[in-house]
Amino acid sequence: MNAENLLFMILMIAFPFYLAAFVLYSIRIVKGPTIFDSVLAVDCLSFDLAAFIAILAIYFRSAFLATSAIILALWAFLLDLYLAKYFLKREVGI
Amino acid sequence: MISEALMYIGGILVIIGGICDFFGALGLLRFPHFYVRLHAATVGTIGGAVVPLIGAAILALGCDFLGWIRYPIAGMSFITAILILMVSPTATHALAFAAHRSKAIEWKEKVCDHLEGVRR
Repeated sequence: MNAENLLFMILMIAFPFYLAAFVLYSIRIVKGPTIFDSVLAVDCLSFDLAAFIAILAIYFRSAFLATSAIILALWAFLLDLYLAKYFLKREVGI
Repeated sequence: MISEALMYIGGILVIIGGICDFFGALGLLRFPHFYVRLHAATVGTIGGAVVPLIGAAILALGCDFLGWIRYPIAGMSFITAILILMVSPTATHALAFAAHRSKAIEWKEKVCDHLEGVRR
């Protein structure tokens, strides 16, 4: 089998799972009862988008696309730490 | 030969990551409250982001038609995988500690809570 056809077949098997997972995460972001559920879902969504971007970089044959995965993962980490510090220091209930 | 074997291994890891991602999202949607959802979030990040990133690195090394571009893609995917492996438990742990300390989550049918009487 040709290498490009093999890559295309792998991506065709894997992409529906990723897209369904993104839709489910988005539902949890919108309807989360507290802000912690939303931020946890944003966290998971960002990490999985980083993995998705790294796979898309292979598909589009672009090295610059894979650079943004590191920055996306670190922004999600920063969001979690900011929220945790805000709720620990200021003691704002919901 | 070797590149085809690398493509098969990477593809299997990417598909396993997709399945873990889907079940993590399903659990995040269906579990009852925040502290149980942390479990599904761990499935969604470690199984759904670290495993397919390592798979993407191996897959990119196996793709001969990419030319020299496969080496930066593989390196950056591997660095991001190690980074998420370190960062994701830290983030969820900080989030759970802040949620418990600020008493924002309603937690019914509590069995035991060792942090309940602890004061700073």
